Amino acid sequence: MLSPTHRIILALLMVAREPLTTSQAAVCLGEDLDLEAIINELNQFFDENALPMIIQPLAEGYRLLTRSEYAQYITRLYQSRGRLRLSRSALETLAIIAYKQPVTKVEIDAIRGVDTNLKPLIEKNLIQIKGRQDGPGRPLLYGTTSYFLEYFGLKSLKDLPQLPELESLTSSNEPLGIETTLNPN
Amino acid sequence: MSYNVKLDVFEGPLDLLLYFIKRDEINIYDIPIAHLTQEYLDYLQLMQRLNLHLAGEFILMAALLMRIKVQMLLPQPESEESIEVEDPRTELVQMLVEYQKYKAASQFLAQLEAQQSEYVPVSVANPEDRFDPDLFLSEVNLFDLGLVFAQLLKSLPGPQYYELEKIKVTINQQIEFIRNCFNGRQRLRFSEICRQLQNRIEVVVTFLAILEMIKNAEIRVSQKALFDDIWLLSSCRKETHVIANA
Repeated sequence: MLSPTHRIILALLMVAREPLTTSQAAVCLGEDLDLEAIINELNQFFDENALPMIIQPLAEGYRLLTRSEYAQYITRLYQSRGRLRLSRSALETLAIIAYKQPVTKVEIDAIRGVDTNLKPLIEKNLIQIKGRQDGPGRPLLYGTTSYFLEYFGLKSLKDLPQLPELESLTSSNEPLGIETTLNPN
Repeated sequence: MSYNVKLDVFEGPLDLLLYFIKRDEINIYDIPIAHLTQEYLDYLQLMQRLNLHLAGEFILMAALLMRIKVQMLLPQPESEESIEVEDPRTELVQMLVEYQKYKAASQFLAQLEAQQSEYVPVSVANPEDRFDPDLFLSEVNLFDLGLVFAQLLKSLPGPQYYELEKIKVTINQQIEFIRNCFNGRQRLRFSEICRQLQNRIEVVVTFLAILEMIKNAEIRVSQKALFDDIWLLSSCRKETHVIANA
């Protein structure tokens, strides 16, 4: 069912440590190809054969991942590592940077009304320095990384949801001021 | 005993204000500033009474709220040209609306995070890693390792032993010593005394002895200029030799 090309792409996906791009695949194969089509066919194959993996478009490329149904088993395999979720302040800071990038620390602080510590996000490779702003002080500008897209399952920044309008915000049932728990849907 | 607990319940003053706005169903575009300020200050007071640490930003916001309140209380000047006076709440409202946008966005991100965490990336070890020449070791057995270890131990420097000597000099001894140095004279230079001392401990103890003698009013000290030699002057007037302070 799978042509050699399919199998080569699958092998590349298995070994790649970052999302595989069309240009990378072309270089490896030595010829141009419609990567998107091949990915779709691979996913169809996985589906038909009930295989536990799936290829997702992430961060301008494609990544081979295990299906979500198996997450519980995998966490048991890596018992020592708990599920580390980002804190509320980290998520707020990330949201500001994601939507407003490039943005300076001062601008971030002004929106949040508190002093922001950017180091943890840099260390997690979710944000990076994108240059300096012209003007007095030449402050650093921050933006999101490619890993940020992977982490949140986004193909590109365009896939970020629209910034909500005020009306829809009051529909949130979460009591503010307490760690929000997520309702899986 | 008091405890210092820091509750990360509110992300900052804006978060706290939004809580009140939501709880009291306040219209964010027409905030009753007196009410909101009162709620806010009550909360700060509660935090302080519970000995909870408040970041400076909370205090800053309190000042901002009070300023807005005052501005709203002041009568607006009447003028022929109906100039639009800016609502003093405007800046605050803008801050709150902006913050709320990103707060909601962060909740979206949290959902995305949770969803994506169910998918684990497949990443087989890079074939290049397997052939790292540095990792290759020739045939080595336990005996060889033991030999190397023994050699290492031999080449290590032995333990150093230091002898500490007990300090034999006392303050009283040095007081006697200084008295002897005076030898009937009325005054004496500190440097003269030091010349006879043999090590640093003796100098230190001698200095302490001088201080003790000053305390007992046995001697006085004088110095002409900064870092000049110190003169010790005996307090017992044997002769009426009043030496002009050189």
